[in-house]
Amino acid sequence: MKQGLPTQPAAWRSMSVLMRYWLKGRLTRAALIWILFGESFAVVGIAFGSQTLLAFSSKFGVTQGFSEFALSLLLAFILVGLLQSGFSGSGLPVTAADVDYVFTAPVRPSEIFGAKVLINSLTTVLFSFPPMIFLYLRLALYYGTPLWSAVPAGLATLLFLVTGLVLSADVTLSLSSSIGPRVKVLRNILIVGVAAISILPVVLLIPGTPASLGPITQILPSGLTAAISIGLVNGGTWSFGLAADGALLLAWFAGSLLLGVRMSRGHFYEVLQVTDVGAQGSSEGGTGAQLQTTGRSVWSVIRDKEAVTMRRTKERRGLIVSSLFLSVFMIIYSLAGTFQSSPTSFLFILFLIGSFGSGNASGWLEKERLWIIKTSALDIRRYVREVYLARVTPLLLFLTPVTVVVGVPLFVEELGQPSAFAVLLALPSALEVAAVMMGGGVYFASRYGQSTADEILSSQAQQLTDVKRFLYQTVVNLVLVSPLMGLVLLEAQPLSFLLLSPALLAVVLLVGSVGYTYWLLRRLLNASGDWILRREDL
Amino acid sequence: MGDISIEALTKKYDGLVALDDVSLTVGSGEIVGLIGPNGAGKSTLMKIVVGILRPTSGTVRVSGHDVVQEPEAAKTLVGYVPENPSLYTALTVNEFLRFVGKIRGVGDQELEKKTVESLRTFSLSDKADSLVGSLSKGMKQKVALIAATMHDPDVLILDEPLTALDPKTQAFVHGWISSQGRAGKTVLLSTHNLEIVQDYATRIVIIDKGSVVATGGLEGLRKLADASGDARLDEVFLKLTEDT
Repeated sequence: MKQGLPTQPAAWRSMSVLMRYWLKGRLTRAALIWILFGESFAVVGIAFGSQTLLAFSSKFGVTQGFSEFALSLLLAFILVGLLQSGFSGSGLPVTAADVDYVFTAPVRPSEIFGAKVLINSLTTVLFSFPPMIFLYLRLALYYGTPLWSAVPAGLATLLFLVTGLVLSADVTLSLSSSIGPRVKVLRNILIVGVAAISILPVVLLIPGTPASLGPITQILPSGLTAAISIGLVNGGTWSFGLAADGALLLAWFAGSLLLGVRMSRGHFYEVLQVTDVGAQGSSEGGTGAQLQTTGRSVWSVIRDKEAVTMRRTKERRGLIVSSLFLSVFMIIYSLAGTFQSSPTSFLFILFLIGSFGSGNASGWLEKERLWIIKTSALDIRRYVREVYLARVTPLLLFLTPVTVVVGVPLFVEELGQPSAFAVLLALPSALEVAAVMMGGGVYFASRYGQSTADEILSSQAQQLTDVKRFLYQTVVNLVLVSPLMGLVLLEAQPLSFLLLSPALLAVVLLVGSVGYTYWLLRRLLNASGDWILRREDL
Repeated sequence: MGDISIEALTKKYDGLVALDDVSLTVGSGEIVGLIGPNGAGKSTLMKIVVGILRPTSGTVRVSGHDVVQEPEAAKTLVGYVPENPSLYTALTVNEFLRFVGKIRGVGDQELEKKTVESLRTFSLSDKADSLVGSLSKGMKQKVALIAATMHDPDVLILDEPLTALDPKTQAFVHGWISSQGRAGKTVLLSTHNLEIVQDYATRIVIIDKGSVVATGGLEGLRKLADASGDARLDEVFLKLTEDT
């Protein structure tokens, strides 16, 4: 070795350098603002969710047991989601820059594993701590226990989240070809077992299922965490059982960490999923669905292109998963009886559904690829409308059953009362709100979406622009859908001077809302097309 | 000085053979030009040498260190410029270079000196505190070149270092590669720019469909391709790859 040649840094040194610079690169001003926003939204969501849960508990006379069941189920979903992301290679998320500069440096794979796990845990804890504490404070208030009990309960949940992250990383590492086929079969059996036990609480909802099955979930981190956290905020004493649960949760954490360290000794880089694939130029997803062009009109090909793209980029799968969560949430909300006591609270759900669509649409922008359309003889306004149609159709297909499942029983319950028509009107309005907000998302993406070729703004400034756009978009979308919400309110509390029966008023309002939606969407989408033409950076 | 020795290297991806029994050596201080059509396996070969990918079979040694058995020892000796380098865009140029130097084990004082000198050489001193994400393509490429040499490696692996650069930056990179050769570095250079290969490479390796088609100096390749004595490298290349 030549004189003065750099030597391989010590393990702790490499890990600390990696963490320091990754943090520097991640925790930008814009990222911190996003975290604050995310935390605020999470706190609002938790406030709403916990209120629903507690209303449900009061209505059906169930207390601690139900809270534990609900938390166990929620954490089980998180655990299964993490394990699933582990299988897709995202258990240890890496960027293209990591591949180019960290994987080629003389740093041991286990050091990269350690640094990644530490930084992911740190950011998860940073993000999750305030919402967690808020949740347990709310529960402690409800149960009338000391508020400080929220702290250990929150810490137990954070330990669960970190354990889940490490388990997800372990699953990703186990994809490596150096793991033998027999071990892989064993891993698959184990994962299926964990998933099955995780969702066991759902089975307990079936009448006649023996309640003795419940404690089985407590062998998993999700069940253990639920038992510990709810036990603490419910005024549980530090019994042997609680200590044993705590020890078992720690054992899960230590075991998964040790397993990860052991597996990360070998070369595992090839199994990792690069998060910023654009930079790597690679693509993800199968090519099962094929774009057929023969004998078809250009507009139908355009719609199909969008549908195929959504399928290959797994966007459609994301829609299904999100709508499933939304369904479960809305059904619980409905069972809790909140709709019955206030039919207009359906409006909140309308906005929730609408935000779901808007968020999905605002990510749309073909960026530089739009040159293909801009340099063709195609009508850009029509192009945007067709793309929108292709994207809104699956969204509405997924949301319609959710709305019907929740809304129809409500309507039947309210039958014969004036509020029934408000509920009835709220059903199509929910879908109209989603469609309008998705149109709003397309408009904002067309007008403000950053092109990747634009190198004028620095990446941090770009992120700040995204934050501002998100806020602006939320407010403007609210304004756009407020007439639809107003129509539902009008039906719920009809004004006497209108001299219309509730049924007739509902028909008039429905026609009015459909007309408004059509007019607004056409304007939004045409304006989107005009903005794309006007922009020189696309 | 470093050398690269590749023996019977094969790389398969789910049944697709990217490299098929490739053997090749790059002697100490040599500049070897690796040319071939798109998808020939050049980048895969380079990613195995730098330790991103693992061979399915065969061995790769850098100065005698097996990249699979002793990856850290091999990586210490290698500098790498990827095709389309992905840099940490949220770090400043200074931070990025310090990061790369640190994880490559360069001492603090040396790192300070090297960063300042390199930025001056590459005319990037005024960009030291700019975010990498705000740089132009040419500037980013210069940062990638500096990053590859922060630890003063014996071996340089350059994967398409001239892609999408303007003529001025291309000329700069030409000069830089030439200077590395003069400094006695061992260089494995993959490019579609045959002019640079003709000008600087001491040996040329033509790779196609995962196999080495031909190797040697320009004269030897002309004979192999049965081309005239004044045939340009692009003519020789087309002749040698037309049947494969």
